[in-house]
Amino acid sequence: MDVVMPRTHNGAPPARRGRERLGVSERRRLERRYRWRRYAIALGFLFPSLLFFVIFLLVPCVQVVIQTFQTGGILDDLRFTGLTNWQKLPSNPLVIRSLLNSALYAVMAVPTVILIGMGLGLLLVYVQRGSTALRGLLYFPTLAPIVVASLIWLFMVHPDFGAFNLSIRLLGGQPQNWLGTTTLALPTLAALEVWRGIGFWALFFLATFVALPQELYAAAQLDGANAWQRFRNLTLPLIRGPLLFALVIATIFSLQVFDSVFVLTDGSPAGATQTLVWYIYKALFQFDNVGLGASLSVLLLAIILALTLVQMRVLRSRPGT
Amino acid sequence: VTANGARRGRAPTGTGRGNWFTRPRSTGEGGSAVTILAYVTIVIVALICIAPFYYIVLTAFKDSRVLFDYPPKWFPDLPLFLGNFEHLLRNTQFPRWVFNTLFVALVVTALKVLFDSMAGYAFAKLEFPGRNLLFIVIISTLMIPFAATLIPLYLMVTDFGLVNTYWALILPPLANPIGIFLMRGFIERTPRDLENAARLDGVSEWGIYWRIVLPLVRPGLVVLAVLTFLVQYTSFVWPLVAAGTDEMKVITTGLATQRAISEVNYAVYSAGAVMGMIPIVIFFVVLQRYFIAGSLAGALKQ
Repeated sequence: MDVVMPRTHNGAPPARRGRERLGVSERRRLERRYRWRRYAIALGFLFPSLLFFVIFLLVPCVQVVIQTFQTGGILDDLRFTGLTNWQKLPSNPLVIRSLLNSALYAVMAVPTVILIGMGLGLLLVYVQRGSTALRGLLYFPTLAPIVVASLIWLFMVHPDFGAFNLSIRLLGGQPQNWLGTTTLALPTLAALEVWRGIGFWALFFLATFVALPQELYAAAQLDGANAWQRFRNLTLPLIRGPLLFALVIATIFSLQVFDSVFVLTDGSPAGATQTLVWYIYKALFQFDNVGLGASLSVLLLAIILALTLVQMRVLRSRPGT
Repeated sequence: VTANGARRGRAPTGTGRGNWFTRPRSTGEGGSAVTILAYVTIVIVALICIAPFYYIVLTAFKDSRVLFDYPPKWFPDLPLFLGNFEHLLRNTQFPRWVFNTLFVALVVTALKVLFDSMAGYAFAKLEFPGRNLLFIVIISTLMIPFAATLIPLYLMVTDFGLVNTYWALILPPLANPIGIFLMRGFIERTPRDLENAARLDGVSEWGIYWRIVLPLVRPGLVVLAVLTFLVQYTSFVWPLVAAGTDEMKVITTGLATQRAISEVNYAVYSAGAVMGMIPIVIFFVVLQRYFIAGSLAGALKQ
């Protein structure tokens, strides 16, 4: 019916005379063909991206869940074993250890890097002249591949020629075996992440701060609020969203620590730096246990998903910030 | 001079290099003192951030025999000792790793920019059933950590018989959906009038995409290219498992496994770290503007 409408609309004849000769069903058929042609064009545009997305991301996501119910390795075929992998998980001391280590690592690295980053971001607001160069210097460690940053860190923390111990010795202090002591190894790795991350978060918070509404600050100043009061009662509530985002992203990133562990400690000393992703890697390439590795992967996925959901929940619960 | 920089921001339009945020504090509360404090702190922290790089460059030019000397020298001896670099270039496959890294990173970047801008165009400008659902599926996978799919991906690539080939290094990274997400955002903001005019003129969708939309989103393409290249250059876990032979390693895996294999020559690691940074430094200096814009998604623009 709507198909015929244009012809009677305003009583004017259609612009193109050719249409008059089409019957209703003919017109519908052509329209449908045109529509399908457009769908086909859209699919053509999507196809290359979707192909790789499905094969190398969606399919592995499904497979990893299936593999948690299987046993086998790289060499032997996978067989279904039901819930065995999941049942063994809680009694495996290495699992508990790597979960704890990853959590501890995140607890040490994330608040530090976010706090320092936020502080630097706040200070960068005042830095105008030469800001490009200074931002570049702060940002530079972020650019280093983690492997290269880890090699550099090796020269910071080596007990004999590392810069840390040399500085300590010059100042007359007690040199430390940074990566060889169970209590120091994980904090030393976390410090590496802090060094790599503060520049990135400084620029992130700088961008957040300069985007805040300036009228509020003028009003607060008129009301006699001092710098701390303005920060506490104005800035902090205003940046709640970006701050939470930063915390969640940094945590998700920290929970996946692997490169620096691989290069610097390989889990030693005495398992003090065995982390979740390190264990996933070892499960496949050292213990040849696909089921174990897959269950750990799904566990990691679940933790990260939960963090993301919490973030979305909190952000949605109080709109307007 | 610094105070001037801050004061320029007082213009009501907020033009110039200053910005409004400094204003409330530079009036009446000794803003210049705060500015000086900010400069001092930022400069000190910036130096601390850069110091490890200086130390590693210094070490790279040291003979491993003097590495353990105390007290250490804080400046390199002239003429520079190049033995570590020589060792790296002659006795390891380092040149090959550099080639592999650049080859893989460039191919992945080119393909991703093309494919993701195509997909972004479809999501932003074309209509098809299930468009929103598909896009939700794609962005909900953004949070999936790579480590979670490592095991099935490795087994899959093994089944395909692609381990230790360039295919294994190039194809799986193409699955990362961040580019689709970014490009959709960039392309959505281009004006509809232009493409509609082209449509009326009978230009094909491909023609509109290629000749109208792509030139309009060039900055977006550069941001995606920079991001993809950097991710590829720094990637470690996947090259580590997918290409383990010495000839197929990339810079990161080559340096890391060299470290894992032998504890012998520390000075050579420092040379490796320095060489591994050189492409990044060049890249950063040339593209800094795009890079910081990319990683902060344009938020710095007021």
